Amino acid sequence: MRALIAAATGLAVALALVFTITALGSPAGETSPKPLLTTVPAHP
Amino acid sequence: MRRKAGLILLALAVFFTALSPLLRWYAFPRLAKIPANQYQDMVLEAKDATLLDYGTMQARKVPEVTIVQTLKGNVEESEKIEKTAGRDVVVWDGLSYVVGPDGKMVSKIPERYIFDAHTQEPVHATGEMVDGDPVKRQGIEFKWPFLTEKRDYQYFDAQARVTAPIHYKGTQNFRGVDVYYFEQTIPWTKVRFPRTMPVEGITPESVAKTGTTRWYTTVRKFWVEPLTGAPVYGEEIHKEELRGGTLLGGRDKVTAFAGHVKMREDYIESTVDLVKSNRTLLLLLTSYLPWGFLALGLLLLALSLYLEARGRRPGDPEPTKDSEPEPVTA
Repeated sequence: MRALIAAATGLAVALALVFTITALGSPAGETSPKPLLTTVPAHP
Repeated sequence: MRRKAGLILLALAVFFTALSPLLRWYAFPRLAKIPANQYQDMVLEAKDATLLDYGTMQARKVPEVTIVQTLKGNVEESEKIEKTAGRDVVVWDGLSYVVGPDGKMVSKIPERYIFDAHTQEPVHATGEMVDGDPVKRQGIEFKWPFLTEKRDYQYFDAQARVTAPIHYKGTQNFRGVDVYYFEQTIPWTKVRFPRTMPVEGITPESVAKTGTTRWYTTVRKFWVEPLTGAPVYGEEIHKEELRGGTLLGGRDKVTAFAGHVKMREDYIESTVDLVKSNRTLLLLLTSYLPWGFLALGLLLLALSLYLEARGRRPGDPEPTKDSEPEPVTA
């Protein structure tokens, strides 16, 4: 019984961790202030 | 004490073993996305190209024509579209700006490309356009999906505003990166004149009145890193002609542009470096961590079983259950 509880705990923590990370995602940030280029840049 | 340690190891074993498929099949599709605020520029060159001189209406050889391509993620628009689309969306505002050998503008084509941040599928929303004309893209443009497959894809051609297959032609090694080579041929197709013409006073409408039409063909080549779906190199054998009408002074056709367009060397180097670093990040989610966690989980499971086995000495009686003392009757 205790082994079952330990296994269930491991599984629950793994699920919680992955769901939390994916729910948080990554911030969208802001649109770059750099313009669409109309001159040839010297370098990347 | 030994049993307690065995149970902790078992919990950790299940934790890491479960993380392995969860990372690969649940987290990866949700975390691997094109950032909404990405900004990227690219310079391509056509050496010894043919270019139409609109002053004399004669095609002439020029040492170089340069194409500056910028893609800018529009975060505000992507957030608006996400509310109705119900998925993560990227809006790229792009500009293809073509510069002649004298530094003057030859053409500029703006476009807006809207797509799913993970699958790269096009998303249709107001504002999707090429050179101001509303379009409904099918297929991909600029980038392939993550985990690109060895198969043909549908690729949108912005000049002709058509979607056509881009064929998988094999696997190659490009500067140390294993890539899939794709090729698309757009046959001679009648296309619109750009809204912004290189000569002041000439508009697409005024040219249309002369009866002259613009035709275009291209062979498009991409070398795509399959894990990221990012092209590390691209080339185009591009030809444009003006045909018929009074503008050509009795000639059937005149070449407006012909050239073998290739990425500039410094941009190739920076693209390869960028793709290599992004590939490592994706490998973490698709391979390194899932396999590492699986191995760790199995190792911990074996260790917990070992501790459990050592905890049970041969001949030991089964542990008795704790039970409530029975009431004694008088």
